Amino acid sequence: MASKQQIKNLKFIFEPKSIALVGASPTPNKVSNVIFKSLTEGNFQGEFYPVNPKYQEITGIKCYPSISSIKKKIDCLMIATPAQTVPMILQECARLKIKGVVLVTAGFSEAGEEGTKLERQIKEICDENEIALIGPNCLGTLNPSTGADSIFLPMHKLERPKPGNIAFITQSGAVGSTIIDVAAYHGIGISKFISYGNATVLDEVDLLEYLEKDNKTKTIVVYIEGARRGREFFEAMKRINKKKPIIALKAGKFSRSAAAAKSHTGNIAGSYLAYNAAFRQAKVIEAEGLEDLFDFMKIFSQPLAKGKRVGIITNGGGMGVLTADAVDQMGLEFAEFSAEAKVKLKTILPSFGNVANPLDLIAEADGEKYEKGIEIMMDDPAIDALFIITLFQTPPMDERVLNVLIKASDDHRKPIACIMLGGAYTTNYQRYLDKYKVPSYNSPIAAVKAMKKFIEYSRFREPKR
Amino acid sequence: MTIVRDFQLLKKHGFGLLPYEIAKNGSEAKKIARKIGYPVAMKVVSSEIEHKSDIGGVKIKIRNDEALEVAYADIMHNVKGKKIDGIMIQKMARKGVELIVGGKKDAQFGHMIVLGLGGIYVEIFRDISARLCPVNRTDIEEMIAELKSHPLLDGARGQKPINKKALEDVVLRMCKFMHDEEITEMDLNPIIFDEKGYDIVDARFSK
Repeated sequence: MASKQQIKNLKFIFEPKSIALVGASPTPNKVSNVIFKSLTEGNFQGEFYPVNPKYQEITGIKCYPSISSIKKKIDCLMIATPAQTVPMILQECARLKIKGVVLVTAGFSEAGEEGTKLERQIKEICDENEIALIGPNCLGTLNPSTGADSIFLPMHKLERPKPGNIAFITQSGAVGSTIIDVAAYHGIGISKFISYGNATVLDEVDLLEYLEKDNKTKTIVVYIEGARRGREFFEAMKRINKKKPIIALKAGKFSRSAAAAKSHTGNIAGSYLAYNAAFRQAKVIEAEGLEDLFDFMKIFSQPLAKGKRVGIITNGGGMGVLTADAVDQMGLEFAEFSAEAKVKLKTILPSFGNVANPLDLIAEADGEKYEKGIEIMMDDPAIDALFIITLFQTPPMDERVLNVLIKASDDHRKPIACIMLGGAYTTNYQRYLDKYKVPSYNSPIAAVKAMKKFIEYSRFREPKR
Repeated sequence: MTIVRDFQLLKKHGFGLLPYEIAKNGSEAKKIARKIGYPVAMKVVSSEIEHKSDIGGVKIKIRNDEALEVAYADIMHNVKGKKIDGIMIQKMARKGVELIVGGKKDAQFGHMIVLGLGGIYVEIFRDISARLCPVNRTDIEEMIAELKSHPLLDGARGQKPINKKALEDVVLRMCKFMHDEEITEMDLNPIIFDEKGYDIVDARFSK
């Protein structure tokens, strides 16, 4: 648990004008070399001071023998030196009034008694001097819009996402790194990434409070194994989720402790049940696994749905039926198109076609038909959300359809979820759509599940609509 | 006898309990049953027995003195070798939906409430929903809606819907009870609801 000032001081980590890297190294693949490279080869525009008494310079960049020898204001200090050196470095840090520190080094409380002692020292120094410290034993932090990057995995192996409005906080570095790598691949933009490791100074509650006020962050994704302050974690989620959707993945659901329970309740209520209760009570969107996490993330940057009546448009009957099954199974409603929409829709269907939901444009559908169909459905007040199924295997389906989907996604009147499934041709198109933040799914069930979560959240946010 | 102490504390906190008394022998059992009024249920009281019904320590729907004598002898035979404190003679509960309303103090989140389909199948179906205390009536409505078996509560197969207000009251009361008495774990199981109200058939808690 950190002070308000320490939480505020996180700005020095995410928006630093200057960064010093203690333990900077020219040796390839060393943690401190990876960070060195990210800061020098990435898009960080501020001042950068590598620190290591062993070197005069590293790849042409001046290297300082100590932090105090820099003699310039330092906003953020990144530390990648062995655990036992850290308290001394932090004392120096305090003396120089450096307020932001990322400590990626491992070997603290997770490593035994000696490490626990060091960790306690770290906390004391930081709390006394209002230093915001992330870590230790973490993967690092990233703000793509400033290039402040302390992730110690190389950029060519772990792609950095573009700037966006989703923030990640993760207790596990490994899970966190995979998430942002995949997010980057799918074109998902992020505002902040925080792997917080042992949470010695700043824990998940503090980080949530920071993100609550961070105007770049619109959605918060949390990967958690065990909260340190359950009650406060719950209260923070409950408060923040009313303004910014929180998507949470809880790992470590299995528990053995139930065996010792004295009652039926104790027996059936493992530690996970409390998390589940907390999420439900706070209306936090709980992901069951990593797949959910990505599926949900994609859909949440859209305008809130006004209701749960969905329209489906497709060029393949069967895929429409599968989607309709999922809609029914998950308790969403089929929209009954308005009379006006029905008349208009009739004009884009073949003479034998039926205006029904799902609307089947059949295999002759092309970009133009989709464009008209989607437009009519966007205009129809009887529809709250749209599933757009595009099977690219038919001859008339080409890149013009992509522009229609991008337009639909930019329309911002109703949330959409696109469904497409196929081989290389379709996958290429899907990657293209990713770049334009069009939420697309490979399966009706995944799309409908994500939409259902979004509609539930929309209703929570705006119950009267 | 922990059960008597527990029942008394629950009563003090306003939980509606079925009339009961503990019998030390057969003739006492008969006297109590007549006083309470048939039909009654009989349950062995013993700290050595965890699952009373599994070993034949529970007899229900006892309608008269003869049936009571037979049942008494039967229970005594079934629990032979266990240390027992007596036999609880309890007014037979109403018919209705058997639920469990439980609570526990979670190490991280504090007191929480668990609602589920109760009776002997609690552990098998695990049809439960949970919320952190304190809860409000909306939370409880959502807990009910989350149960797979919620149609039973709404009156499936020609039954009348259960008295949801009574269920909400029990849950709210339990939150307060756990807080006031610093309870770590507790069960009301089964607690049987019908359209009028509820009967708590069995209860246990620990501090």
